[in-house]
Amino acid sequence: MTAATAPAKARSRGRQTAWAALLVVLVLVTAVLPLLLTGGRSGGRSLDPDDTSLNGSAALARLLEAHGVEVTRVETPGAAVAAAGPHTLLLVTEASFLDRAAAGRVSAAFGDRLIVGSVPYLDVLAPGVRRQGPVRARSRAPECTLREAVRAGDAYTGGMAFTGPQGATGCYPAGDGHALVRYTADGHTVTVLGDASFMTNLRLAEDGNAALALNLAGARQKLVWLAEPDDPAEAGGPRDPGDPDDPGEGTDGQARSLGDLIPRGVKWAVLQLAVAVALAALWRGRRLGPVVAERLPVVVRAAETVEGRGRLYRSRRARDRAALALRAAAADRLAPRLGLPRTATAEEVAVAAAARTGRDPEPVLTLLCGPPPGDDTALVTLAAHLDTLERQVRDS
Amino acid sequence: MALTGRAGLLAALAAIVVLLAPEPGLVVLAAALVLTVLVAADLLLAGAVRGLRFQRDGERRVRLGQSAAIGLVVDNPGPRRVRGVLRDAWQPSAGAAVRRVTLDVPARQRRRLVTTLTPTRRGDREAVAVTVRSVGPLGLAARQRTFHVPWTVRVLPPFLSRRHLPARLARLRELDGRHPALVRGQGTEFDSLREYVVGDDVRSIDWRASARRSDVVVRTWRPERDRRVLIVLDTGRTSAGRVGVAPVGGDRLSGWPRLDWSMDAALLLAALAARAGDRVDFLAYDRAVRAQVSGASRTELLSSLVDAMAPIEAELVEADAAGMVAAVLSRARRRCLVVLLTDLNATAMEEGLLPVLPGLSSRHMVLVASVADPRVAGMAAGRGTAEAVYDAAAAERLRGERREITAVLRRHGVEVVDALPEDVAPALADAYLALKAAGRL
Repeated sequence: MTAATAPAKARSRGRQTAWAALLVVLVLVTAVLPLLLTGGRSGGRSLDPDDTSLNGSAALARLLEAHGVEVTRVETPGAAVAAAGPHTLLLVTEASFLDRAAAGRVSAAFGDRLIVGSVPYLDVLAPGVRRQGPVRARSRAPECTLREAVRAGDAYTGGMAFTGPQGATGCYPAGDGHALVRYTADGHTVTVLGDASFMTNLRLAEDGNAALALNLAGARQKLVWLAEPDDPAEAGGPRDPGDPDDPGEGTDGQARSLGDLIPRGVKWAVLQLAVAVALAALWRGRRLGPVVAERLPVVVRAAETVEGRGRLYRSRRARDRAALALRAAAADRLAPRLGLPRTATAEEVAVAAAARTGRDPEPVLTLLCGPPPGDDTALVTLAAHLDTLERQVRDS
Repeated sequence: MALTGRAGLLAALAAIVVLLAPEPGLVVLAAALVLTVLVAADLLLAGAVRGLRFQRDGERRVRLGQSAAIGLVVDNPGPRRVRGVLRDAWQPSAGAAVRRVTLDVPARQRRRLVTTLTPTRRGDREAVAVTVRSVGPLGLAARQRTFHVPWTVRVLPPFLSRRHLPARLARLRELDGRHPALVRGQGTEFDSLREYVVGDDVRSIDWRASARRSDVVVRTWRPERDRRVLIVLDTGRTSAGRVGVAPVGGDRLSGWPRLDWSMDAALLLAALAARAGDRVDFLAYDRAVRAQVSGASRTELLSSLVDAMAPIEAELVEADAAGMVAAVLSRARRRCLVVLLTDLNATAMEEGLLPVLPGLSSRHMVLVASVADPRVAGMAAGRGTAEAVYDAAAAERLRGERREITAVLRRHGVEVVDALPEDVAPALADAYLALKAAGRL
C-alpha cells in the first residue's frame, strides 16, 4: 500500500464506520419508537385477580381465597352470567370489557353486583345511580352506617361522586354525593364505587383499603370476577351489526375487515402499477443485439506443477526428497566454481569445497551428503547452511 | 420492437390518476388503451430500420497493445429520420471501447461512426453484429433489427523485442565489417579481389591474381551469407503455460503464454537473420503443421511472419516430436540452422524429442530455445519457513531436471538457450550471432 492511497483507504473506512453507526441508530429507533408510541405499558392487566403487578389485584384474590371465598375469574360477560347464581357476587371493574348489550345481560344476571371504577353503561348496570361529577381520589372517612365501611375505617376512595336512588346508602362523602353507593333492587344488592385503586396490589395495604375490599368482595361465598380479556373482540361475543342500539365507540370498525377500509382506488392503482412494472421489465429485458460468445484460451500458470509438487512434499513431510533436491542443486552450482566436472559426485564437491574455504571437511561432507534432516526445523537450517557454503565458496 | 423507459413511466404516472379518480376501473382500461395507441403510433412513425445499409472501412491489422479505428457507415435510404441507438458488437477480447452509441441519420443521408478497438490478445477478432434501435418521435417504443456486417481485424504479435534489434545489428556489423575483413577466419567466405592499398595485411595478397595483372591484388573475406535458418515453433501443451508478467494486453498478472514469448524471440531472430543475409523459414507444429512461411523475400519476411503467427493458439495436446522432425527434414534439404522454440520439459523431451534428435542434429545445426519461469526462480530462493523450503526444493528439482536435459542436448551437439521471459529474445539473438561468428551455420 503506497502513501498516496492510504488517505483514500482511511476515508473509505471512515465512511464504513458512519454507515455502521447509521445502521445501529436506525435499528435502535425502530426498536424504541413503538415502545414510546404505545405509552410504555408496563405489562400486566389492571384489576386482574391473577396479576401480580402494581395495577393487578392478585393480593386481594389470594386474601379472599384465604377467607374461604371461591374466586372465579371470567373474561366474557356470557361466562359471567353463566357463573352467576343466587349466592354469588359479580365484580365488574373499569377493566372489564362491556358493550351495552353485554351490560344488559350482566345486569339481568342473578346475584349481587359490585361495580368499581369508571364502568361504562352505569345506567344499565346500576339503574338509579347517577354521576355527580368527578372528585379527587384520596383517603376518606366512611361517615355512614354501612357495616362494611365502618369496620374498615378510612379508605382510598373518590374518583366519582354518586347519588343513589330512594333508599340507597351512601358512604365516603365526596363533592355533592358519595364515593360509595349501595342500594337493593329486585333482591340484588348493588354497590358502586367511583375509584378502584383501593383494590390494587399497590394500595391494598394502605389505611383500611384491604378491609373495605374484603368486606365488599367477600360478602358472598362465591365471587365472579369479570377480568380484562386477552382479546377484546372475543369478549364482545357475537354481535348483530344492524343493532341500532349499538352506539359503539369504535365497535363499528371491529366488524369490518382490513380490506373494507382500503379505498377502492388503491386496488386499481396497484393493478396499474403492475402494468407499469411489466412494461419496465419489457424495456429492461429487451437486449440490444445478441450475446457475443468467444472461445478463450486456457489460463494456466506454468509454475502450477512446481507449486503442486512443493505442497505434496509439505503434506507428506518428504524431507528426504526435499533435502536431496536442495543438496543436488547446491552441488551442481558448486562444481563449476570448484573446477570440477559436472559429473563430480557430492563427496568430491564437499571435499573440494572444504579445501577451498578452509573449513573442516567433516561438517561440509555431512552438509552435502549426510542423512536426511529429522524435522522441518532441521530442513530449514540445512537450506540456510547450504546457502552459507555457496557464499563462502563464491567469495573465496 | 422494443419499449423504452418512458412507456413504463407513463403507466406508473397513470397509477396516480387511478388512485384519485372516482371510477378507477375505467381509468385503468382507458390508460391501457391510450398507451397501446401511443405505442402503436410511435412504432409506425419511427424510422424504418429494415432498409438500412452498412459499410465498413478501416484497419485490417493491428499490433497487440495498439488501437485500431474501424469506421461504420450507416446509410438510411428511407423517407424518415432514424434516431436511436446502435451497438457495434465485437468479440469481447477485441476490446471495443463503447458498447452503444447514439445514432441520428436524417432521411436519405448517411453517417459514419467509429469503433475503437484495443484488443487484449493475439488472433483474428471479428465483428459479430450491428444492432440498430430506432426510437419513435414520442420516445415510447422503438423498432429494432440486427445486421451482420462482417469485418476481421488480425491482431499481430507485438514484437516488443525489436528494441533489442539495433544493438544486435551493431554486433552484426562488427562481425561482417562494413569494410571487408582481410584475414581469413572462421565464419568467413571469399568475397572479392581488390587492389592493394598501403596498410593492408601483406599476407592477404593473392599472388596468382597479382601475377595475372600488373598490380598487387589482395583477397577480401566476408562472413558467411545465404545460410538457411528454419525457426520451428512448438505449439503443443507446454507452450500454453503462462509465465512472467504480460507486457501488453488485458489480464497482465496472469502472465503471457510461453508461445507468445517464443514468438517474440522468433521475430527478433528472424529480423536479425534477414539483415545478416540469411534465408529464414518458419514452421509452427504440434501434431500437424499449424503455420509456415517459406521462401519469403527479405523485405516481406517480417510482415508475413507476424501474419502467420497471429492466429496460432497453443493446442492442448502433446507435441509429436517425430512428426516435427520429419516435417523439418522434408523442408530443409540443405544444411541449415534449426531453431526449435519449445519447453525444456524433462518428461516431454525424453519421450518425444530425444529419441529422434540424432536424425536431426546429424544433418543440421540445432538450437533449442526455452522460456524459463521467473516464478520457479523465485520459489527456489525461498528460505526461512518450512513451506518456503519445501517449495524451494520442488523448484530446485525442476531446475535440476532442466539442467539434466540441457546437458543431454549439449552432448548431442545441440545448442541450448534457457532464459527468463524478458531475456529469451536477446539471448537467442546472441546465440545466433555467436554461431555465426564461429562459422557454424
